[in-house]
Amino acid sequence: MKIKVGVIFGGRSVEHEISVISAQQAIAAFDKNNYDITPIYITKTGKWYTGDALLVVDNYRNTDSLLAQCTEIYLTPSYGDFTINAVQSSIWKSRELGKIDVAFPIIHGTNGEDGSLQGLLELKGIPYVGCDVLSSAIGMDKIMMKMVLKESKLPVVDYTWFTDRSWHMDKEPIIAEINKIGFPVIVKPSNLGSSVGVSKAADEAALIDAVDLAGRFSSRILVERMVVDLKEINCSVLGDAANQAASVCEEPLGAGDILSYKDKYVSNTKGGSSKGMTSTKRQIPANIPKEQTMLIQDLAKETFRILSCSGVSRIDFLVDKKDNKVYVNEINTIPGSLSFYLWDATDKNFSQLLKTLIDVALKRQRERDNLVVSYGENIFSMSGAGGSKSGKA
Amino acid sequence: MRLYDRKKILMENILFFAALATILVYAFAKLRFELHMMQLNSYRNERYFKWLKTNLVITTRVLEAVTLAITGLLILVAGAAVASIAIILLFALLAYLQFIKKQKKPVVFTKRAQRLFGLTFILSVIAGGVYYLLTGKALCTLWISGLVLLLSFIFIAIANTLIAPVEKAINNSFYNDAKKILSARPDLIIIGITGSYGKTSTKHFLHRMLSEKYNVLMTPGSYNTTMGVIRTIREQLQATHEVFIVEMGAKQPNDIKEICDLVNPQIGILTAVGEQHLETFKSIQNVQKTKFELIDALPSGGLAVLNEDYEFIANRPVNDRETARYSSDNEKADYYLKDISYSARGSAFSVYNKGEKLASFDTKLVGSYNLSNILAGYIVARHLEVPDSSVAFAIKKLEPVQHRLEVKVHSNGVTVIDDAFNSNPVGSKMALEVLKAIEGQRKIIITPGMIELGEKQEYYNTLLGEQIAESCDYAILVGRNITLPIMAGLKNKNYPDEKIYVAQNFKDAVNHLNGFTRAGDVLLYENDLPDTYEL
Repeated sequence: MKIKVGVIFGGRSVEHEISVISAQQAIAAFDKNNYDITPIYITKTGKWYTGDALLVVDNYRNTDSLLAQCTEIYLTPSYGDFTINAVQSSIWKSRELGKIDVAFPIIHGTNGEDGSLQGLLELKGIPYVGCDVLSSAIGMDKIMMKMVLKESKLPVVDYTWFTDRSWHMDKEPIIAEINKIGFPVIVKPSNLGSSVGVSKAADEAALIDAVDLAGRFSSRILVERMVVDLKEINCSVLGDAANQAASVCEEPLGAGDILSYKDKYVSNTKGGSSKGMTSTKRQIPANIPKEQTMLIQDLAKETFRILSCSGVSRIDFLVDKKDNKVYVNEINTIPGSLSFYLWDATDKNFSQLLKTLIDVALKRQRERDNLVVSYGENIFSMSGAGGSKSGKA
Repeated sequence: MRLYDRKKILMENILFFAALATILVYAFAKLRFELHMMQLNSYRNERYFKWLKTNLVITTRVLEAVTLAITGLLILVAGAAVASIAIILLFALLAYLQFIKKQKKPVVFTKRAQRLFGLTFILSVIAGGVYYLLTGKALCTLWISGLVLLLSFIFIAIANTLIAPVEKAINNSFYNDAKKILSARPDLIIIGITGSYGKTSTKHFLHRMLSEKYNVLMTPGSYNTTMGVIRTIREQLQATHEVFIVEMGAKQPNDIKEICDLVNPQIGILTAVGEQHLETFKSIQNVQKTKFELIDALPSGGLAVLNEDYEFIANRPVNDRETARYSSDNEKADYYLKDISYSARGSAFSVYNKGEKLASFDTKLVGSYNLSNILAGYIVARHLEVPDSSVAFAIKKLEPVQHRLEVKVHSNGVTVIDDAFNSNPVGSKMALEVLKAIEGQRKIIITPGMIELGEKQEYYNTLLGEQIAESCDYAILVGRNITLPIMAGLKNKNYPDEKIYVAQNFKDAVNHLNGFTRAGDVLLYENDLPDTYEL
């Protein structure tokens, strides 16, 4: 019997399209002899759909006609209920469309990578691939992630953070704090991926614009010291809190100081459909000394372990070319294209990577089932427990 | 012989019923088309007839007439079987043509549409049925049904008239329902906004400011009629809402009174009285009277927020209500703006009340009309005790509308004021004021001038030329012929030739700019004609 995997993708996120591409790549790579795939697409307005038309990437050019060929669905939050239900049913069409055994969220960014979707899956009690609520939420929030890593003595670039509102109420103390870090700085909204809303500021005037930009995307803003002469190195980690493996390292070759959204996802797409992360110019393995590679791999695994991650993540590092210092920059708990190209260059093809991810998801579920969540006995009905019988405690 | 006859009759019967089925299918397609047209004309017969005037003779009806001529002739001269076959083929073709038609905005089968469609269909069937009862001729009845479908535009209009009392009763029940919902919310603060211009911006600004302290509902987008307000109340008003902002539009006298009778606002904002919709209002006095219906509807002691910058607001006395008269520059008003400065980041300004400074604000928006609308919002926010510091944050976060006085600094240090979507003289004047006042080195305008202003087009473009002469260091006119009136205006003010460049087209203008601009320059893109426009 094949394992039914529900791949959940799209979502209310600025990285909606990237998610569609990552999911299409994964669905194509699954070993169909062992897995049965149900595509579950969340629209930009947050409605859920399923249907075979979702399996053809060209269909996404016209969302209206795509959705017309699909069925709108919902999942209940009830524990143990793994059915997919049609929103509209009739005498001819039953409400129940089928079941899934494992959920596989492939959504980048808000409402999918940040723990919210994981919360729903947790309530349902269904095994799912990737980080749980806590690690998703921490991994998504750049400020929280830095706090946790710094507390754990992992190397992070100096930073400060504040809210949009406190900035507009009284800039002075914040600017003083930033001056302590020293210009130039990078300004980021706390909870977005793909460099959206990120800009650099060389002085106070530029800082005001940069905070303004970041403030459009998030009410919490991170400002960190800019490593001027830098090399970016990424490394993927696969596993769970107990066992982790690190992939080879890559060096993305962006055009500017910051790898912009366009560089990341839209480059090399003239005349063809976008290919997601795989189309970005990159060097695999990265051209760095062996000791540095090993250091980065160790730091990557340690980051993954401390944040209590699961599944596959990609950890991005900054290397200061001046002193060769390595800093953890950020973690992507659902990386673009699931970082399959890194594993392909290490020891697993995409299909094997997917199998490992499903296995890790099932293992976590087994471990969960062993924990005590609630007691079977109803305390209210136990004799001598007082309460209901006598009406007096 | 008898067997042959029976076979023939059976054959003819089958053909007849097939023809009847075809006609029914076509009836669905055709009546759906008429329903669609009625829907696009808002179910109003007078509008529908106006539309018919230019759309009576269309391909569909011509093809129908031809079909009826052919089938009619065949019924007369050929046998029943042949006529039936012709009816089947031709009407199937007509139905096919209806079904493959692509619609920009397809028909929506709302409950109201279903009722009208049903009644029109029944009327058509009755017409055919009456003919059959009178004559007893089955095949001719089919032909008559085809004729009815050709004349379906009359049938739908009749149905529309017949069903009007029902629709009115239903609307009344919606109205009463909305009234009941509101009467259950005596604590809800209701704010009405109207004006010839600026009411939608003011609504958005006020919503943002009040959201600092309250749960606010506002009528969305274009829902500014009584039905739109009723819909908002019935579909969106929730127990958690504390404030309801109602935008009130008027096309004719009494429109605003009708909305006020429903919602009973406690606060009213009147942003402008100007010459809009003059064709229905006839005179500006009528516009004034209609807009003031909002102020007249306020309860004794209610707050009237009035834009003193408009003559026809300033000259109208208001009794028995608290008034807050505001102005973008007149220091005699209760509230006015001062210390306005423009920069690439937007505007900074202060609000004064009778010589006393109340607060200072920063916003990304520029232009006196925007600031005036912000001021109207601030007066109400202050009245409802939203702290100034919260209002300041809200004002800071207001976003400009794309291509409407949108200010950006490009990486080369050039500031661009994008006002490409503007096309009226008032807006152009304001854009030039901003260009003149904004910090920067050289002030440069790029414009093809204004179009679609009717007989006053030349006058307004010449005026624009004169205004450019007073506020710009360099003018790029896009298109030679179209910008002749602007050129005349520039010449009236003795604007030197070396400061003018007449570009062939927009691309030429951009090329010219590329070798010319430097950091510190400010560019104003004023109006932007579509590519197809002949320069």
